Amino acid sequence: MSKGEPNRYMKGMLAVFCALFVLLASYLFYSTVTYGEEWFSSPYNPRISASRKVADAGSIYDRNGLPLAWSVGSVRHYAENPQVRRAVCHVVGDVYGKSMGAEAFYARYLYGYDQGLIDRFVTAFEGDSKGGDVYLTIDAELCAYAYEQMEYNGAVVLMNYQTGEILASVSNPTFNPEEIPDQDGEEEGGSQYLNRVTQGRYPPGSTMKIVTTACAVENGMTDRVYNCPGEILIAGQRITCPTNGGHGEEDLTSAFEDSCNVYFAQLAVELGADRMQRTADAFLFNHEWHFPDFAMLQSSYSPGNNQGDLAWSGIGQYRDLITPMHNMLISAAVGYRGVMVQPQTLLDVRYGGRSGYTYTPQPVGTIMNAQVADTLAALMRATVLEGTATSANIDAAAVSGKTGTAEYTDNGEIRNHSWFVGYSQDPEHPLAIAVILEGAGYGSRYATPLAGKVLERAINLGY
Amino acid sequence: MRSTSAESAWRASSRGLGGSARAAERRREQKRSGQGAAGTGKEGQCLLHLRVREARCRLAMVIRRYGVAILLAFMILFLLSGFLLLSFREGAFNSQIMLAGGLFAVYVLVQYNLLAAIFRHLDRYVLLTTDFLMIISLIVLYRMDPETGQKQMIWILVGTVLMVIALVVIRRAGNFGRWNLFFMVLAVGMLGITLVLAQTTLGARNWLRIGPFSFQPSEFAKILFLLVTAYYLSTREHKRDLWPYFLFTILCVLLLVAARDLGAALLFAGTFLIVFYVGTGSLWITLGAVGAFAGGAVASYYIFGHVRTRVQIWRDPWATYNDNGYQIVQGLLAIASGGLLGSGLGNGMPQSIPVAETDYIFAALCEEFGIIVGLAVIGFYLLFIVRGVLIAMGARTKFAKLLVFGATCMLALQSFIIIGGVIKLIPLTGITMPFVSYGGSSMLSSMMLLGIIEGVAVQNGELDEAEITEMGGQMR
Repeated sequence: MSKGEPNRYMKGMLAVFCALFVLLASYLFYSTVTYGEEWFSSPYNPRISASRKVADAGSIYDRNGLPLAWSVGSVRHYAENPQVRRAVCHVVGDVYGKSMGAEAFYARYLYGYDQGLIDRFVTAFEGDSKGGDVYLTIDAELCAYAYEQMEYNGAVVLMNYQTGEILASVSNPTFNPEEIPDQDGEEEGGSQYLNRVTQGRYPPGSTMKIVTTACAVENGMTDRVYNCPGEILIAGQRITCPTNGGHGEEDLTSAFEDSCNVYFAQLAVELGADRMQRTADAFLFNHEWHFPDFAMLQSSYSPGNNQGDLAWSGIGQYRDLITPMHNMLISAAVGYRGVMVQPQTLLDVRYGGRSGYTYTPQPVGTIMNAQVADTLAALMRATVLEGTATSANIDAAAVSGKTGTAEYTDNGEIRNHSWFVGYSQDPEHPLAIAVILEGAGYGSRYATPLAGKVLERAINLGY
Repeated sequence: MRSTSAESAWRASSRGLGGSARAAERRREQKRSGQGAAGTGKEGQCLLHLRVREARCRLAMVIRRYGVAILLAFMILFLLSGFLLLSFREGAFNSQIMLAGGLFAVYVLVQYNLLAAIFRHLDRYVLLTTDFLMIISLIVLYRMDPETGQKQMIWILVGTVLMVIALVVIRRAGNFGRWNLFFMVLAVGMLGITLVLAQTTLGARNWLRIGPFSFQPSEFAKILFLLVTAYYLSTREHKRDLWPYFLFTILCVLLLVAARDLGAALLFAGTFLIVFYVGTGSLWITLGAVGAFAGGAVASYYIFGHVRTRVQIWRDPWATYNDNGYQIVQGLLAIASGGLLGSGLGNGMPQSIPVAETDYIFAALCEEFGIIVGLAVIGFYLLFIVRGVLIAMGARTKFAKLLVFGATCMLALQSFIIIGGVIKLIPLTGITMPFVSYGGSSMLSSMMLLGIIEGVAVQNGELDEAEITEMGGQMR
């Protein structure tokens, strides 16, 4: 037999195997050296919560220096005022890893893990790894105020849309971080640990009409006029407006002010699935968020396969789902002429009085051009002045916004989430807000007045 | 003849005739003849060449003499100190765990010395490498769950018996031509039955339960597949006569894909491609087949949701941390938390990694031993592969060549696929890490592959010896 032949190819393949294993070894080395720090200090690492010594942890303060969490010996204490403690519980988090808050996301600062690998070794040997103090962007009093106003489960989130600082973020129901039952004692549902602001996915309802309108503006279809007889049948699906006898003849402005379902359903169908999908994608639906301060769920939009589904998707039903944070970011982008900024909650980290962190606003991107944003701004302002959102009209600032009433079924019964998203046009008070109250009813009746009050309070506090 | 003339001359002189004087004489002789043949121009180069070769041989001799003993001593030290740490883990001394460690140390010493004494031409490095990998495996398993470690030890013992059987059979056997059809039917039958009767574990239908035992038939089909591959590629003159083999391969891969055992499917396809290329040397057909398999892979990406999910997880496991990405993120966190030197045995949290005993054992060992040991494990696999290919190159028959090469190739691909998957170099496909992962089927089939490789190594050595005797020298 010709024995040289396979041997030659074997030599070649051996070289390939060697190359593969060298690649394997180099990648292992490279990735641990490059990302090791980041991975290790990730809030998902169970080793941190298992190994952290609460006694060594730094404190957590709100933006005004109000203490929200601190250690006395090996016991972790949380804000003294019970209302404040509950209002900020999701943002602050807990030391048991039940909720994803500052205690998890900033563990690297609180426990001093942000030091390099070598420092970590040194401090581990010395045994005194006192962590840094974390200052959050939230105003705890404002959070407590919003929490007191909430009579339903849901979420309120308020942000400075120029800098991205989250000023208030409340998710109801809340929990008491000092009285978390043992891991073994599973209590009913555990839904109080869910931060609804970033992890609650709700049908957007009529707040989705902002996206549908943006799509119409982008495609030059602002001149459409439809008659609203109160209901319409599209591909066998009946879409109604809750007003008796319908809104009559509607153009874009009046339909937006009245939040006319019949109008926007037809508009969505005329725009078509492709355009709607494109605009929704530009507004970062179906987008994986990578915010360093939040574990934020993806919002979803799908135009469906027939015109009926498309019509429903255009008014925020069908399979549309959005988180309150994302909905707030969209109205914030309208206020900031199309630019979406990254929401952040970490204001400062201090090590014994020395600041070790600089807050820098980060843009997410431009989700619409300035003209589209201006058109939306005018429509949203009109909605607060003379449309469905008049109860958000406050004296302190020029508020623009959109209400939403999102249908969902609860044990076969149709109920409504109450939504409001909006912002203050005043450049002195660049605030954007989203409010959702689960199962409360009409957006205009429940979420909107609450949003108005929270905005007013925020402006009075000087934001 | 396996080695070049200089090497065999050295072998004959240094081994058979003992003294270095004779070796020097030989060398002078070689030099003279070299002078005569190559002329004066290449004299210096030739001399240098010989010197280098001589130094290499001498180094090899030192390593051969003491290296094994040193290596073995280190391994036993590693094993015993590991088990000593483990037996003190819960405060009080746990004599049972220490006993297990001691027993395994005895096993390694007896296994190595006995096998090396019975089969003088055994490849010692391949055996030592697997012993090292099994030691790591036992320490990591005993650390996570002593009961699992105990079971693994039993599988290692059973596997050793199978390894010796495979070694003895392969050493004497021909190309199994008469059995070939039976092997093919058996392999396809095993994979087919699995598909029908299997239990679903972690998304793959690849487990069969018989009585109290559950086993993974694809692990044993691997060995049949290698035998069939070597038989066809060594006996068929024309490529057109290979069609039954092609059909067989495609059928195996399709059955595995249908059982959602993507790792094994990838392993079979990869081994086929590489061994086919080596056996026939036809690069174009191989590239065509690579294209076909790649096409199949792309098609499966679009057809199967779970393939798409795998790729998405690979691209960004953090995005789907709460469900699909959980496992790989936990693996990466474990590796990162261990760092270069590891958290130390017993100080990590490998139990937070899903399936840390089987597919994810690499992450578990990296966490507590550090990536330095992770790199060493990769290095040991590479050592195993290099030795395996060298044995294949030294084999006398094409069948033996391709069989050993195939077995080596399978172990290489398997360890590459799983380690690469765990460290997120490539998309993760569930497959065991040879000799390290917990699991009876995996351990037994890996041991049989080891037996096949050692069988041919012993065969090579015996034939070498016969040739040298014929030339008038003698081994040792």
